[in-house]
Amino acid sequence: MKVPMKWLKEYVDIDMSAEEYASRMVMTGTAVEGVDKTGEQFDKVVVGKVLSCVDHPNSDHLHICMVDVGGEEPLQIVCGAPNVHEGMRVAAALDGAHLPGGVKIKKGKMRGEVSMGMLCSGPELDVPAGLYPHIGDEGIIEIFEDVAPGTDVKEVFGLGDDIIDFEILANRPDCLSVWGLARESSAVLENHFVMPEIAVEEKGTGTFDDYAKVKVLDDVTCPRYCARIVTNVKIGPSPKWMREYLYGAGVRPINNIVDITNFVMLETGHPMHAFDLSKVKDQTIVVRRAKAGEHLTTLDGKEHVLDESMLVIADNENATGLAGIMGGEESEIVNDTASVLFECAAFERANNRVTARKLGIRTESSGRFEKGVCPDTAMEALNRACMLVNMLECGDVVPGAYDNYPRPQETKEIDASVSRICRRIGVNVPGEVMEDILNRLYIDTTLVGEDTLHCVFPAYRQDMENEADVSEEVLRMYGYDHIPSTLMNAVTMPGYRNEKLVFNDRVKAALVGMGLYEVLNYSFISPKWIDKLNLPEDDARRNAVVLRNPLGEDTSVMRTSLVPSMLNTVAANLNRGIGEGMLFELSKTFVPAETAGELPAERNALCVGIFGGDADFYTVKNIVTWLLAKFGVTATIATAGDAYYHPGRKAVMDVEGKQIAALGEIHPDVAEAFDISGKRVYVAEIDLDALRPLEKDFYGVKPLPKFPAVSRDIAVVVDEAVGAGTMMDAIRKAAGKTLEDVKLFDIYRGDKLGKGKKSVAYAITLRAADRTLTDEEINNTMEKVLKALNTQFGAELRA
Amino acid sequence: MENKLREIQLRVMQSIEEARQSANLEQIRVSILGKKGELTGLLRGMGKLPPEERPKMGQLVNDVRAAIEEKLEARAAELKEKEKAARLESEAIDVTLPGPERGAGSLHPMNIALQKMIEIFVGMGYEAVEGPEVEFDHYNFELLNIPKNHPARDAQDTFYVDDNIVLRTHTSPVQARIMTTRKPPIRVICPGRVYRADEADATHSPVFHQMEGLVIDENITMGDLKGTLDEFARQMFGEGIRTRFRPSFFPFTEPSAEVDLTCANCRGEGCRMCKGTGWIEVLGAGMVNPRVLEMCGIDSTKYSGFAFGMGVERMALLKYNIPNLRYLYENDLRFLTQYR
Repeated sequence: MKVPMKWLKEYVDIDMSAEEYASRMVMTGTAVEGVDKTGEQFDKVVVGKVLSCVDHPNSDHLHICMVDVGGEEPLQIVCGAPNVHEGMRVAAALDGAHLPGGVKIKKGKMRGEVSMGMLCSGPELDVPAGLYPHIGDEGIIEIFEDVAPGTDVKEVFGLGDDIIDFEILANRPDCLSVWGLARESSAVLENHFVMPEIAVEEKGTGTFDDYAKVKVLDDVTCPRYCARIVTNVKIGPSPKWMREYLYGAGVRPINNIVDITNFVMLETGHPMHAFDLSKVKDQTIVVRRAKAGEHLTTLDGKEHVLDESMLVIADNENATGLAGIMGGEESEIVNDTASVLFECAAFERANNRVTARKLGIRTESSGRFEKGVCPDTAMEALNRACMLVNMLECGDVVPGAYDNYPRPQETKEIDASVSRICRRIGVNVPGEVMEDILNRLYIDTTLVGEDTLHCVFPAYRQDMENEADVSEEVLRMYGYDHIPSTLMNAVTMPGYRNEKLVFNDRVKAALVGMGLYEVLNYSFISPKWIDKLNLPEDDARRNAVVLRNPLGEDTSVMRTSLVPSMLNTVAANLNRGIGEGMLFELSKTFVPAETAGELPAERNALCVGIFGGDADFYTVKNIVTWLLAKFGVTATIATAGDAYYHPGRKAVMDVEGKQIAALGEIHPDVAEAFDISGKRVYVAEIDLDALRPLEKDFYGVKPLPKFPAVSRDIAVVVDEAVGAGTMMDAIRKAAGKTLEDVKLFDIYRGDKLGKGKKSVAYAITLRAADRTLTDEEINNTMEKVLKALNTQFGAELRA
Repeated sequence: MENKLREIQLRVMQSIEEARQSANLEQIRVSILGKKGELTGLLRGMGKLPPEERPKMGQLVNDVRAAIEEKLEARAAELKEKEKAARLESEAIDVTLPGPERGAGSLHPMNIALQKMIEIFVGMGYEAVEGPEVEFDHYNFELLNIPKNHPARDAQDTFYVDDNIVLRTHTSPVQARIMTTRKPPIRVICPGRVYRADEADATHSPVFHQMEGLVIDENITMGDLKGTLDEFARQMFGEGIRTRFRPSFFPFTEPSAEVDLTCANCRGEGCRMCKGTGWIEVLGAGMVNPRVLEMCGIDSTKYSGFAFGMGVERMALLKYNIPNLRYLYENDLRFLTQYR
């Protein structure tokens, strides 16, 4: 909320710079976004008096003016505005003046005639129509007051005041007003807050009821409705001080009646509405819920279809405005408005908020109602408006008022304990000091005995409820800088990370050790990215948790797989000209619950992505194998897996029949769909939730060998289709207990072997723990191995 | 014969001296001292000498032999030393030549910061716990004193799955879950992913990470909160980094504070990073609102506690001087590889 310093100073003494004041407010809990000045958009523009004005000899529209700008000599200024004339007071930008939009005024010649400056229009100074009479009209600004030439025009327009931009937090709607902030300032600065005495001078005959009728049909959603009538209204500009305050607060001045409603809203925090009474049908205002499907056109010309939850202001038949949000077009104040009904009401927060959200309207008024407007002070605000009508002499306030307030707010009071507050805040503040602080904040407080503070909260402090609230009021005024730095005096507790966090950190450490880089992607993706994976129509991964209000389609469903994000990451890096990389992401995937209203299952997933360099299938296979080995897990591998992998270069890895990982080269079609070209991409997906329980505890070491080992090489010829790794598993099985190690050391293909054949050579190491193996034992074992390879794979010993 | 011996000794000594390689020495040894060697031959010829000359000549031959052997040994050692020196010299390599390229790998900087943060609090006796990212409105808002249609919800633009399920906007629901299922004393930190409906820019991301902390025990004060965060600041950013508390408002704490840290860039002097104030706003904290304790079934007259929450990305940006939050989610290897 923007507040001009001058306005605040009407009610509280602030004897310091705006910056120092702002800092005092910040340190006591009223946040400040910034300190500005009005009129900063231009400088060196002064009042000038046009002494003479003649036509420019070389132009059909320019004038040559001699302008008195308060200097020793008048200045010659060329001006093209049609309204410039002798004797006129103008806004003259001098040589070197800065105007909005980066314009700098320099003396020069225009069509051969010297011009020492520029006479300005309203738009050229970026000052709004309404700030000064006729400022929005065609042509240059005319200053009507008898102001000495050379006076800074900012003085004339009421510019140059400091504006404090407060950021009012959700718990203090009472500070969304000049009075509220003045009150808060007085507590901070230990000054007095002086509220104006509100006295309305009534005029004319009859009372409210003789002019209008109000029917509140829903006093829950509208807990208070106040209204008064003003007759003999004379619409015109409001006085300079009011325009200046409104402009400083960021509100465009319009006319006296509208300005009064805005002024009162800013000053008291109560949104108001002014109706042209003659346009209100039957002079009757009905506050009721809308009918389902009822239509309404608001002031901004937009048409809305309403539902039964929405509160409207209506005449006897139709809705004319949205209560507390926006008025209707029909009863708008216009230049010939003669009588006015001022409304000052309170509407229920949640209802107001829901309606504004549903209709997509957010106004200053709706913003205030949803934060909470105190019904107690509504009549006071309404009378302040009437008092301003008196002051501005723009109408007659009719005696009497309408006020429907069936359930006045109860006064909240509590007893708080001084010692408990001290314990909570960790600062020893004496009871008397607390009492003084709270009273400064208009919390009517009495210290009873030594430890009890009896506090009565003012109606507008809707945030105050309990002792904790009181403790904050005390502490922020006493000063947060008094909080000591202590470490708690409490029982010792063991510090640790939960098992899953530890596990995930170990997985990451293992991958980092293998040279991989961790990446982070959003948890929500586009459903189209899942489509690109070519999954079957009924694949579970197509069923994702869908966001109701995503930022866009690209971030609209929760990931069911980490693969699409990984492929996008690879593509992005290739696009950046990065030719190779080894990446991983450890994050969650989300599986929708089977029952509506339940939370989705969150799976702990890992995805590895490798591209470029000399990477191939075995690079990614090794990474997975080594990772599993870190957790004491060995898996079997077989060609299988999703269609987004290369059909001949994909595999799944199982442990005890349960799939734990899938890996392979990405299918060229899928790579292309993700805009990956020129590089093969290898991906592995590891199910960490499946891996974690498989981890074997380290149960102790094997004793070191005492007897010698023997090595035997064996080379066999098999069909191309036989898996070298599968044969290795068979060797392990056949060799039995004495096998220590088997390594593949050569694969050879050649004409001599015949087409579709290959020779595979293994080095087999045998050792027994309790004896030296005999030749006979060794030969037996090797025979068994050969036989197994022969029967299972048709392998022949290579000649 | 004696002359012959002297001649051999002189000649052999000379050739040993001239030998350039260990192998030459071996040749010399064989040719003189070997089975068919010159000296061995002489010794064999001793039988032809008169018996009275034999002892003297024997002595002489042995002396010559010993002298040659000694010389051989000395020269051998000398040559070996020389050869080693030559080999070492010839083996010199260009140490400035880069080794074969091998990926070093690294954690994401966000996680480097997070691990450090977790470590600091685990050291202070906190348990790190996690909770669901897709969460019930009840835990994310209502138990934290943010009822439906409360304007405080505006501060956290929320992604909804349905009326009652949201993407958590903070890790506070984990605290709510802990408070409703455990009895004090409670001392936990809750790291994890959170979501807000903000468009990505230099300081915002719709997905980011938080680490919140919660302590509930008897006689916990706001001073304890400050002391804890001071210690965190010191360990995270170094000696001399302090906290400053400013009053603020959060629905689940009372009193609440915005917490600033001494600007690590200028150490409080005032610079561009801290807009000349010497302080950087980093986190929110406060004493747990007794209403929240009561809603979670904890006796607020007996127990009090504090809670704090910090953005992990914000910490990473500050700690590693990262100029733009977008860097953290673009996964540009040119950025990531700087952390290896």
